[in-house]
Amino acid sequence: MSTASRADTATAYALGLGTLLTLGVFFVVPLIFMVIVSFYKPDPMAFYKEAFVWDNYKTFFSSFYYTVSLRSLWSSLLGAVLVVVIAFPAVLVIVDLSRRWQLFWVILLLSLMCLSEVIVGFSWLILLSESAGLPRLFGALGIWENPRSLSPSFGAMMVGMVTIGFSIVALILFPQAARRDRSLEEAAMTLGTPPWRVFFTVLLPTFRTTLLSVTLTMFVYLLGVFVMPTMLGRPKDWTMTVIISDKALGDANLPLGAALAVVMLIVTTVILLLSMLTTRGATGRSTR
Amino acid sequence: MIRSVRALAFAATSLTFASTTTVAETLTISAWGGFFEETLAAEIYPGFTAETGIEVKSIAQPEDSAWMTQLMAAARAKQAPADLSLVTDEVLIRGNEAGLWAKLNPANMAGTEALKDGYVILDDGGMAYGVGALAFYTTFVTNTDFAPDAPASWADLWEDKWDNKLGIITTPNSGLMEATAKTFFGGYEIMETREGLEQVIAKIAELKPQVSLWYRDEGQFQQSLEAGELNAGLYYHDVAMLSIWDGKPIASTFPKEGGVVADAYWVTPRDSKNISAVEKFLDYVSRPEVQASMARTMGVFPVVPRESMDLTDEEFSAVGSDIEPIRVQTHIHLREGDWLESKYQEMIAQ
Repeated sequence: MSTASRADTATAYALGLGTLLTLGVFFVVPLIFMVIVSFYKPDPMAFYKEAFVWDNYKTFFSSFYYTVSLRSLWSSLLGAVLVVVIAFPAVLVIVDLSRRWQLFWVILLLSLMCLSEVIVGFSWLILLSESAGLPRLFGALGIWENPRSLSPSFGAMMVGMVTIGFSIVALILFPQAARRDRSLEEAAMTLGTPPWRVFFTVLLPTFRTTLLSVTLTMFVYLLGVFVMPTMLGRPKDWTMTVIISDKALGDANLPLGAALAVVMLIVTTVILLLSMLTTRGATGRSTR
Repeated sequence: MIRSVRALAFAATSLTFASTTTVAETLTISAWGGFFEETLAAEIYPGFTAETGIEVKSIAQPEDSAWMTQLMAAARAKQAPADLSLVTDEVLIRGNEAGLWAKLNPANMAGTEALKDGYVILDDGGMAYGVGALAFYTTFVTNTDFAPDAPASWADLWEDKWDNKLGIITTPNSGLMEATAKTFFGGYEIMETREGLEQVIAKIAELKPQVSLWYRDEGQFQQSLEAGELNAGLYYHDVAMLSIWDGKPIASTFPKEGGVVADAYWVTPRDSKNISAVEKFLDYVSRPEVQASMARTMGVFPVVPRESMDLTDEEFSAVGSDIEPIRVQTHIHLREGDWLESKYQEMIAQ
C-alpha cells in the first residue's frame, strides 16, 4: 500500500520534473540567446555583427527610453490596480447570486477571455469614435455639445487594458471569494458593523495577500500588452513593448530591441522580488 | 556577341527543358499584403501563367523592415520564403549589402530593356540583383466633406484648420521629411547634416498638436479618413484612388512641390531554386503592355517611358502627375539609419 503510493508520487514527480525541465530549457535557451544578441553591434546596412559592445545598453539610459520605461511601469501598474479594484467587488456580487446567474457570469467572463486583444481594441475604437460611438450618442442626447472622438487617449488605452484584464482577474478571484469563510463577516454584522465597514475592515484584510498577488500578475501581464497602446493610445502613451517591437522589427535593430527587453526583464524581476518580500513580511507578522 | 550566343544557348536548353518536363513549374511571388498582393494575383500573374505555363503562388508579405528581418533569418537557414519579392529601394540596398539577393542574368530578360534607365540594378560583374517593378506616390489626401478645396502646398498641413484631425505615417522614410525640406528649407541639401535633419524634424514636430493618428497600419488610416474621424493626412495615392472610385468623399492631391515618389523593385532571395522561371517572369512583367495594365488595375506609376505605353492622358493623370516629384533620400536614411529613426520616434512619442 505504502510502496504503491510512494511509486505514484515518484511517477508524478518524474512527470512534473520532465515538464519543468522542458519549460526551463525552452525558456532559458531563448533568454540566453536574447542576452547574447543584446551585446551584438547593430549594422544599419545589414542586420547585426557578432561582437561584444555595451552600446545598446548605453542607449537605454538616454532620456527617451528611460522615460518610456517609467511610463510603461506606471500605466501597467495603474491598469493592474484599476482592474483589481473593479473586479473584486464585482466578483463578491457574482458569488452571492443564484447558481444559474453565477453560471451566466462565469460563461460571459470566459467568452470575454476568448476574444483576442485586437477584437477588444477594435470594438473600443468604434465605441469611442466620433462617428459611430458613445460621443455621437451623447451628442444626440444633448449631453455633449461638440462631441469628439475619445480615442486615441490615455483613458482609451486604460479602458482597453482593463477590459482584457478584467475577466482574468475575476476568474482568478471567483473560487476564493465563493469558498471564503463568512463567519467573520457575519460576526461583524451581528455586532452592528455597517456593510461598507465590513468590506474595508474584514473582507479587504482577509483578501490582502490574494489581491496583492493578483495585482502583481496583472501588472506583469499588462506590461506585455502591445495592441492597446498602438490602437487606443497616443504616441506618448506607447509602452516599452511597442518601442521594442518598433526597434526589433520596424528598424531591424535586433540588438537594441534585445537590450531594451533585457532591461525591462530585470526591472520587472526586481519589482516582483521586492513586492514578494514585503508581502511575505506582512503575512508573517499578521499570523504571529 | 558572346552574351547573345550564350543567351541563345540558354534559351534553347530551357526550351527543351520546358518541353520535356511534365511537372508544372511553380513560382512563389510575395508582395505587400492586402490590395497589392490581391490585385497582382488577380490581374497580372494569370497572363504570365497563360504565356509560359509556369504557375504562380502568390503570398502576402508584411511591412518592409519586418519582411527584411524574416528574409535575413530565412537566409541564415538557407531558405527562400519566396522566389520573387516586391521591395522598396531601402530594402533592396540593405539586402544587397547583406548578400541576400540572387544574381540574375540580364541577357535572359530582354524585356527589361523597356524599363527606364537605371531600373535594372547591376552589380560589378554585370549581373542584376534588382529589377524595377513599379513606382508609387504618397500624396496629400483630404476628406472632401471637411476640406472641400484641394490643398495647394504641403505647407497647408501646418495650417491650423485641420481641427486636430491629421493622420501621418509614423516612420521617418514616409517622404514627409523630404516634403518638409523642399517646402520650407529650399531643397534636400539641409538633410545632408545632422543639424539640418534636426531642423527638419523640429519643423515636423510643429504638426504634433494637429495629428491625432501617427499610423503604422494603412487600414486604420483609411477607415478613419473615410469616416471623417480624420480630415487629412499623408497616404498612398493608389489606394486613395480606389477609395475615390468607390465613391468615398476623398481627394488625393499632388501639391505644387510634388507628390512623394518611391520605387519598388523585384528581388530574388539568394536561396531560390527557380532562377530561370524568375528571369522569365521579370522579362514578362517589364513589358510596356504589362506596365500599362498594372497602372490601370493597381493605380501604380509605371517604370517604363510613357510613350511606350498606350495609356490615355486621363489614365496617366490618375496614377501620377507631371509635377517634378519629391524623392525619398534613401542614401541619407540609410547613412543616418538608427540615429534618425530614434530622433524621429522621440519627436513623435515624447
